[in-house]
Amino acid sequence: MPKRLTVVVSQGQSNNPAKRKLEEDIVAALLFEPGIEVTIVPHLYDLKGDGPGMMGLQAITTDFVVLSWLYERATRWTLDRNNIRGQVGTTLLVHESDDEEDDLLDEPEEEDKLRVVDNRPLPKRMIFCIDLRVSNQVQDYVDEVKRIHGELSTQVVQLGGLGSAPSPTPEQLARVENPTNDTALKDGGELERPVEIIEPIRLEENAARRWYPVIDYSRCTNCMECIDFCLFGVYGVDGAETILVEMPDNCRKGCPACSRVCPENAIIFPQHKTPTIAGSAEVAGGGLKIDLSQLFGKPKEDEKSLDTAVRERDEQLLLAGREAVGTAVGVPKRQADNEDREKDDLDDLIDAVDDLDI
Amino acid sequence: MSDDFLVFMMGKFEAKFPTDRLFAKNHCWAMPTDRGYRFGFTAYAVRLLQDVYFLEWHVDEGAKISEGQEIGFIESSKAESELYPAIPGVLARLNPELMSDPSRINVDMYGEGWLYEIEGSGEALLKPDAYLEHLASVWEVTQRTIKGQLNE
Repeated sequence: MPKRLTVVVSQGQSNNPAKRKLEEDIVAALLFEPGIEVTIVPHLYDLKGDGPGMMGLQAITTDFVVLSWLYERATRWTLDRNNIRGQVGTTLLVHESDDEEDDLLDEPEEEDKLRVVDNRPLPKRMIFCIDLRVSNQVQDYVDEVKRIHGELSTQVVQLGGLGSAPSPTPEQLARVENPTNDTALKDGGELERPVEIIEPIRLEENAARRWYPVIDYSRCTNCMECIDFCLFGVYGVDGAETILVEMPDNCRKGCPACSRVCPENAIIFPQHKTPTIAGSAEVAGGGLKIDLSQLFGKPKEDEKSLDTAVRERDEQLLLAGREAVGTAVGVPKRQADNEDREKDDLDDLIDAVDDLDI
Repeated sequence: MSDDFLVFMMGKFEAKFPTDRLFAKNHCWAMPTDRGYRFGFTAYAVRLLQDVYFLEWHVDEGAKISEGQEIGFIESSKAESELYPAIPGVLARLNPELMSDPSRINVDMYGEGWLYEIEGSGEALLKPDAYLEHLASVWEVTQRTIKGQLNE
């Protein structure tokens, strides 16, 4: 039996006719699919937290698919920051990459690190994020949505078949035989839709372009390096002392410095030109390759990402009429490569204070 | 490749290094020639690169090359890199066979897949055991390089 599935199409930021056409063609193709409802919103990332777009999406309680011009991770965590959460649905329509297992790296030692998401139970419903840049073929998206819809519907049958559900009564069976309403299943098993709702839901919002970080809490360890580094008051903590992007619009347009400082690569700037900062899941393989130049003898020129981050932050400070601070403020401790040393009395004292749990 | 070799574990991968030659810190092996050395990638480098697709040189034979000078570029299934000379000196020869088929690097890295010959001093080159010590000391950094490129 087809389960209800909402498909959200998040429009591109510009009115690029090719993008608009792809979006509208997908909508048109899905509109008549039984059991599928289509909602169109402006560019997801630009939606205000309390605007009609986000509120409309927050009202969706079922499984849903989001098609957007963003990397899957950027979509997922943009939704997350607006309290729209669910289990990660696996889509097969993804950017090309080679998934070949790489045994090169030692067993990742950070497996035992606690991620913020570990303390944050997610609702059972599934959210599937699909990047509209993966393909320019309407049919690819339509097929994938249908596949997901079929998969979800099949799962329901399986769960029902586990024996926990009581058998239908003879009266219920009789009602299935002779339906009394017009949304009942037809012989072919298809859900007939009332004719009047074959319009997609359009959530209009005057969405100006925004620029702010989005935290991937499946990577974030709440280490607070971003809040130390950012001097524009973007970050804050919630009641449970968990890092959050508190003042997104304090963020300096174009500046991704905190993302470079983050030791877990958990900070996404969906509109940044570098794929890994914009939320690409890529590490190696696919379009992005590891640069081994340093290992093969490239002269050391800088500390790479940290220096870039410090420079970018200084540029923004100057643009904002403030003074550049260089590496004097908020530079992560890990960069200092402190040598391990015996704890001294002060350390013990501080540990004792920590243990008080006040 | 001689029968004697040393092994360095790269994660689960066994990288082997023949003991009949010297090594450069940028992960090349070195075999003495008349006036210098022939160089090629070690198993360590090849494991990081994996399948080599593309190799080009930015210098010609006979050119004087200095330390840290960019002399070429390599691209593989997993990685890409500018290439730098293992030692400074005069570039005597580039392996002509690699021009048409750089995958020879994967097939026979310690033999037919050699990269170039440089006439120059080998004083900075390491004996096999010293190279292995060097590997042990850079392995952490290597892994960080691979992982850390996410946030550049």
